[in-house]
Amino acid sequence: MKSAVGDAPASSFLARNEFLIRRLHSLSGLIPVGAYMVIHLLTNASVLQGSVMFQKLVYQIHGLPMLVAIEWLFIFIPILFHAIIGVLIIRGSLPNSGTYKYGSNYRYTLQRATGMIAFVFIMVHVFHMHGWFHFDSWLIAARKIGGAQFWPYNAASTAARALSSLPYQIFYVVGVLSCVFHLANGIWTFGITWGIWVTPQAQRWATTACLVFGLALSAVGLGALGGFAYTVDVETAYERENEMYDERVKIGDILPDEHKRYHPPAAKASETAQAPTYLNFEP
Amino acid sequence: MADSHHNPNASHSARSFEVRILRQDGPGQPSYWERHRVEYEPEMNVISVLQRIAAKAITADGKHVAPVAWDCNCLEEVCGACTMVINGQVRQSCSALVDRLLEDRPGEIELAPMAKFPVVRDLVVDRARLFRALTKVKAWVPVDGYYDVGPGPRVSPATQEQSYPLSECMSCGCCLDACPQYLKVEVERLEGESAADFEARANNEFDRSFVGAHAISQAMLFNSHPTGATSAGPRLDALMAEGGIQVCGNAQNCVAVCPKNIPLTTSIGRAGRATTIHQLKKWFGA
Repeated sequence: MKSAVGDAPASSFLARNEFLIRRLHSLSGLIPVGAYMVIHLLTNASVLQGSVMFQKLVYQIHGLPMLVAIEWLFIFIPILFHAIIGVLIIRGSLPNSGTYKYGSNYRYTLQRATGMIAFVFIMVHVFHMHGWFHFDSWLIAARKIGGAQFWPYNAASTAARALSSLPYQIFYVVGVLSCVFHLANGIWTFGITWGIWVTPQAQRWATTACLVFGLALSAVGLGALGGFAYTVDVETAYERENEMYDERVKIGDILPDEHKRYHPPAAKASETAQAPTYLNFEP
Repeated sequence: MADSHHNPNASHSARSFEVRILRQDGPGQPSYWERHRVEYEPEMNVISVLQRIAAKAITADGKHVAPVAWDCNCLEEVCGACTMVINGQVRQSCSALVDRLLEDRPGEIELAPMAKFPVVRDLVVDRARLFRALTKVKAWVPVDGYYDVGPGPRVSPATQEQSYPLSECMSCGCCLDACPQYLKVEVERLEGESAADFEARANNEFDRSFVGAHAISQAMLFNSHPTGATSAGPRLDALMAEGGIQVCGNAQNCVAVCPKNIPLTTSIGRAGRATTIHQLKKWFGA
């Protein structure tokens, strides 16, 4: 027989670089994915100050140069990396919180469950609002099946309309809370993984800090969802947004971009778009 | 006890209890549950229960069976040999007192082999992987040599305070059995394979899988020893190899089940910090 060690198959790339990949997974959860989520939820919660405030912030974001590159490099690719490596990690685990009923063990199981929920939620959410890709043929197809429902220059009105149905509201509440738990608990495990909080006492402090952070971010996230679903008057917001657009184009603050504006289908037929026809819109 | 004489059922339940045992006739064989009835005696532990079962070797249904096999050695919770899963939780059977167990679950005790190690027979498991992990992280102080190198450096009282709890580890494997990231690795010997080849193949398999909390803690113990620290780099390299500290999922079951109350998660945190710094030094220079 040949030597047993000689027979051993070579380790895969993932296995050979397991340490660095896991550390990158841990880091990517905080920066950029977690940091992005905090900014995203805070921006969305600005809708509680009115649709104009929210629209103002969206204009700021859309003023960034090379937005598509930023989206893919700092948001989509890190999320996909974190999610795919996360699925591989979950495949190598055997949760046992039913047998060993400790707080940290429940959080271990929940971290994996919320991670899976967050993965599904984010995939659906980005399709629902953003559409993933922004070339015309794709967008037309996506909108036929209820995707890409957010128009940046009619931000609050289209977001509010997209979140007007109860099933979507429930889906978003579950998704946002899963993401928030996953981030708050992820910060706690990040601190141990990287050796920031080491002693049990330090870890207890970190638990409290992460709990407070998680509760605060939950409030922000739920505030944003409630703000879109229940405080935005779609017709008024739509008119204000169009006024803002006209004004910004007039003073040269933005270039005209009809792709980022919502056009009710009826408005294409008649020059004098009426708000009520907008409500009859069918994607 | 006068009342119980008039009621045979009450007498029965008060004076005996049932022991459910997950048995397995050999490696790779199917496992099966078997019920035994044991007469109650005051101040029994699970070892003495297993001794009564072995002496009788008759199941609760009256069937004659081979005696249940188990491991034990020190009988005072310092060797780790008798570790098994008792009422669903991994622990030493010598320090598992029947009176306490029956308080938690009246009338019945459930025994199973450790879940994360290959079963040799019944409650006996093969913990070779546990010891392989200690070899992998070089859990010793390298002092072998041919001539007297003089006294070693002094160990500060602060380091002693930190090290002593870690040195209490008895390699029982409770931390591993309760760990959701530590999955069972069972390597079967092939037809005609020599013992050395089999061991090398098994070690190769073990080295790819999670080292476990005990080995991470021992690496920290020997890295904080002034002479042991001469191998600090290779130990950290071992912790950063495949199956190293990065597999830890921070469920922290290890520290919760450790019978010696070893601060395993503190060791994991220290190892996390040490490997972070070690990686940066490897990239950017010390």
